[in-house]
Amino acid sequence: MSTISTHLRNFKEPTREQLNLLFFSLPIDAETHGGEKAASGELERMEISAVLTLGVQNIEDAYPGKLYLIPPYLAFSSLDRKSVRFTIPLSTIRRVERLNARAGIYALSLSLWHNTKIVVQLTSLRPTADLFCSLLRDALKAELNRGQMKAVKSFIETCYSESLLANIESDNKENAGSKADSGSTDSLHLGGLGLKFKYPGDPRKLREASKMKLWTTYLKTHGRNLTLLRYPQYTRLVQVGLPNRLRGEMWETLSGSLYLRFAHPGEYERILKENEGRTSTSTEEIEKDLHRSLPEYPAYQSEEGIGALRRVLQAYSFRHPETGYCQAMNILAAAILIYMSEEQAFWLLQVICDRLLPGYYSPSMHGTLLDQRVFESLVHKCLPILYEHFTAVDVQLSVASLPWFLSLFINSMPMVFAFRIIDCFFCMGPKVLFQVGLTILKINGEELLQVQDDGGFIHLMRNYFASLGDSAHPESADPRARAITRFQELLLVSFREFAIITDEMIQNERKRFRGEIVHSIESFSKRSAIRNLKTLHRFTKDQAGLIYDALFKAICIEPPPAASLPPPSLLTTKDSPEERPETRIGLKTFRVFLSEIATWARIEKIVSNGFQQRVEREVAEHEFIDRIFSFWDTDYRGSLSFQDLISGLDGVMFNDLMENIEWFFNLHDKNKDGYLTKDEVLTLSESLLFIFRYEIGDAYLGAVSRFMSNAFEYGDALLPRPEGSDPDDDPPPLESNQPYINLATFRMVVLADEVLESFFESDFASTFRLEPVPMMEMPNANTSLLGGLWDTLTSSDNRKIFNRLTDEVGRTIGKHQVYHRPAIGKFATLEEPKARESLLTPTMRRSASKASLRLEEQSTPRVDIPSTSKSAPANLNVPIRGEVDKAEGGLSPSAYSAMPSMFEAAATAAALMERTPFAIDDAKDDEDDESEDETEGEDDGVMDEVDAFLEAHDSGLTPAEQELAQDLIHAEPVK
Amino acid sequence: MADASGSSADKSVQVKLVLLGEAAVGKSSVVLRFVSNEFQANKEPTIGAAFLTQKCRLEDRVLRYEIWDTAGQERFHSLAPMYYRNAQAAVVVYDVTKASSLEKAKTWVKELQRQANPNIVIALAGNKVDLVQPASAPSPTPVAESEDEADDATATPGEATGEQPESLRQVPREEAEAYAQEAGLLFFETSAKTGEGIVEIFTEIAKKIPIEQILASSRGGAGRAGGVGGRTGTGSQQGGVNLEENAAKGKDACNC
Ligand SMILES: Nc1nc2c(ncn2[C@@H]2O[C@H](COP(=O)(O)OP(=O)(O)O)[C@@H](O)[C@H]2O)c(=O)[nH]1
Ligand SMILES: [Mg+2]
Repeated sequence: MSTISTHLRNFKEPTREQLNLLFFSLPIDAETHGGEKAASGELERMEISAVLTLGVQNIEDAYPGKLYLIPPYLAFSSLDRKSVRFTIPLSTIRRVERLNARAGIYALSLSLWHNTKIVVQLTSLRPTADLFCSLLRDALKAELNRGQMKAVKSFIETCYSESLLANIESDNKENAGSKADSGSTDSLHLGGLGLKFKYPGDPRKLREASKMKLWTTYLKTHGRNLTLLRYPQYTRLVQVGLPNRLRGEMWETLSGSLYLRFAHPGEYERILKENEGRTSTSTEEIEKDLHRSLPEYPAYQSEEGIGALRRVLQAYSFRHPETGYCQAMNILAAAILIYMSEEQAFWLLQVICDRLLPGYYSPSMHGTLLDQRVFESLVHKCLPILYEHFTAVDVQLSVASLPWFLSLFINSMPMVFAFRIIDCFFCMGPKVLFQVGLTILKINGEELLQVQDDGGFIHLMRNYFASLGDSAHPESADPRARAITRFQELLLVSFREFAIITDEMIQNERKRFRGEIVHSIESFSKRSAIRNLKTLHRFTKDQAGLIYDALFKAICIEPPPAASLPPPSLLTTKDSPEERPETRIGLKTFRVFLSEIATWARIEKIVSNGFQQRVEREVAEHEFIDRIFSFWDTDYRGSLSFQDLISGLDGVMFNDLMENIEWFFNLHDKNKDGYLTKDEVLTLSESLLFIFRYEIGDAYLGAVSRFMSNAFEYGDALLPRPEGSDPDDDPPPLESNQPYINLATFRMVVLADEVLESFFESDFASTFRLEPVPMMEMPNANTSLLGGLWDTLTSSDNRKIFNRLTDEVGRTIGKHQVYHRPAIGKFATLEEPKARESLLTPTMRRSASKASLRLEEQSTPRVDIPSTSKSAPANLNVPIRGEVDKAEGGLSPSAYSAMPSMFEAAATAAALMERTPFAIDDAKDDEDDESEDETEGEDDGVMDEVDAFLEAHDSGLTPAEQELAQDLIHAEPVK
Repeated sequence: MADASGSSADKSVQVKLVLLGEAAVGKSSVVLRFVSNEFQANKEPTIGAAFLTQKCRLEDRVLRYEIWDTAGQERFHSLAPMYYRNAQAAVVVYDVTKASSLEKAKTWVKELQRQANPNIVIALAGNKVDLVQPASAPSPTPVAESEDEADDATATPGEATGEQPESLRQVPREEAEAYAQEAGLLFFETSAKTGEGIVEIFTEIAKKIPIEQILASSRGGAGRAGGVGGRTGTGSQQGGVNLEENAAKGKDACNC
């Protein structure tokens, strides 16, 4: 009933490089798919100081700034990052000339596709400029080889600006003729539903004609579409509103979706074709919303518009199954389709969802939540009185502002106005949404201070939006002031007073709150996962929470395979009951999960290398664990849900002696017939040995071998024999699946042994530990400036490096030791309880296991803890058991290494079984090896250990080792 | 401003009510039926939640419902607390022809009971009963209405065939009723299409709301003019809720 998503864990702050790409409206690396990357991957990027001049007349100033080679693009930004900039595909550069200028000046003249010429003067030192030029040359060559240069022509023909200028030019030549075919050339160029269904708003009021004129002039001298250069006038033109016919193309250029469309010709059609007929949750959800997307616009009352909307949304969901479809995307898509073709809209939608509003529409909507939080914080900063009022009367900003951001105001204000905000949004970036949002609140400040609740807030906002076309100063004597609409006032205030809201500021605010948001989303889904459990069984909610944490961690480490999309077309029937999405884990993830909870399901190595001691945890793999997985998979689905895990654990963690014995029995009774076969008895013994593999001493080994011989003896004795045959005769041969012992017998055999009895009574239960899972830390608000998950990863990398280094040094100086921590850790000393009087009658004891007798003899010699252990290096102590006294606790390495031979005999006794050799451990303190804060404790201890070691062994190190150790001290590798 | 009522002494009690439930069970239709007494394909896109108001007279008291109709898409679930916080009432809707929608309704109920206002009055509404009723009530299949749903993928299968209505039912009334009883919810089977049971939900909720408490604790209960209607900002509803004790809606119409 719940999905567990870990993708927020990979949520990284954008790097400087990525921010730069974002600035230039270029795909950030993660976004590029396949070919693009391969083609440009090896080409080097470079930036260089440069002065840009427009190569024609003196129509623009020269701008100092930076030129970036980002193959396959060339980009420039003036120093203020605002006035002037461009991003052009290298393939549109037709000619590059080194200008033969005055000495000491290094300038390149670039002729671009649209007969524009720009001159960039490289102001760096000569060798740097030379390097830049050679890289540029390489990059250009690569584009040529890729055939991109040829693609430019046909691509550019799809852009309306081409026909606009072509018309002007031909108009100049021959007035009559060209007008006639301008209509037909127009249809070559891509356009939106507005062509047929009209654009919203009154063209005269929008002053379309004069806007068009201004744009034509601008585009004539500053390039267009792929080669567009953005000079200051450009931004001003955008701010007064793009003309309808040019709007789509300008959006493409400004957002950079144009470059995606250029780089992936035909991809939109291909996606649709490949997925034809396919249905998914997303396609179903899309269907529901098609008729509620700008329904008042005529195109969306016809199949033509609805069909286009459906295809664009579906294509997006097919290409991005992880995001799929989110309500509000329908509104965006419907809006942009008025101004652009399906293919254009598809790419633009992608840029909006992935780049401009990252995470807004993802299943957790973390981007939305984050930006709402950022907005709130900006309101706090910029409009403190209002913020305090809202806090006082408990009004939530988001009830009104959420749709502003999610649907770019399209759903909140009349479309004509929303589109003008969107023009600015594409031109100046997401900060525009914040600026406009703040202005709305500011302008309505007085009334907002009267608002007492959420409803009143919404109501007020509605009235305001409905009045945007009214005069802002209806009372003014000045007719020009009266002519200013409330919408114009809104934009004016946004860009004047809230110019202080910069991209950087938003980035920083996002950084500040990201951890908080991720945390709240994760704990929200945790709470609902727990709430949605059908039953908690005997667990408390807190315990279920710990189990959830272990599951969550396991999913982070070993993500379960993504739920696959239903196969295309025919196979999916609409009426099959819709499965609710639910996270289920496979065996691999399960092993990780169990290793968090059961001590025997992990391998804990205590490594000490002379510098530090640490615990290394690995996930164990054994048939026993796999068996539990299947045992808990009661529906035979090959996977387990959170509920399955809760139920499974409930079945084993609360058991008393008898129940545990039964659980163990059932676990191994594969066909559930109430009997174990002889093979199953063997498997069961192996399971026991697996659990005991790291216990100290041979008590458990002895117990298992006694168990086996007793079980076999008893089982054989109870086997049905032919009538009248001598009970002392050998039993008849067994069939492989023949029932061998039943639960009652099994119980008796187990109870015959003190070690096993106490194992089933309490030790086994105690191997299940619900403890706070040391999670990968999330950056918190305070550290976020330095932090971010990335840092955590880096530091865990550092940690590994540190560990590796110190291990190496430890090895060279002979101080490297590895011990395994036992799963039960009951027998600290090597004392061992004796086997009980057998329950078997003497006759049954017929072949009373010699092995077990021998074992007892063999195991009598105890290992004396050498009194000389004081001389053993103190750092052999197991660090987690803090209370172990250094002086007494340490065993000398030789004592350990002597031990395995002792067990050889015992090992023979366990004849049939392959067993992991018992590892040895210092287990001075019993039971209580709580591992709660092992990581922290260890971390804290590390540097002290190194210090101590160096002090004690100062002379023992070679100078090189000393240096290394010194480095390590200063490396600060952990935390 | 167009706020006609201002802070004039107004005996109306403001009740915040939230609608929750799986997508397409008919939440918006239920609200539309209650607020404007009509049934039509839902035209209003819901981002987060739609906000509507409606007055309702109960004996000598006027209740002013502030209705938050939440978006049903699963990923908006985490936003729901924003809308149900401080709510005095909730209508959790499921679709009687879709068993899974009752499961979802139950999780909403659980969530509300643990996270919402502890005194919240919750009503469970099994919507679309018109689909499972015998044709005695002349099974409304006029062209106009089937047109509404013709292109709506969510239109329940069988609507067109309409042969054995009872067989479409996936949630027996008794089952849901027993659950509601056990969980302490008001229970109704409703049809936004025919109007059955709709007004009852809101009147029964009104009766159960501890009005005196709200009055005592509210910030004066001075109602602002209610605003219904979408982006055009016009108070679009003329028809009253067909409930005799329903108040006139003069105020709601004033924000044109
Ligand atoms: N037959 C029938 N259809 C209904 C009823 N209520 C809603 N619907 C239809 O169910 C679909 C979803 O309704 P909607 O109100 O949008 O659901 P919401 O997503 O829960 O708000 C629409 O096609 C409605 O016309 C009802 O009572 N009877
Ligand atoms: Mg709805």
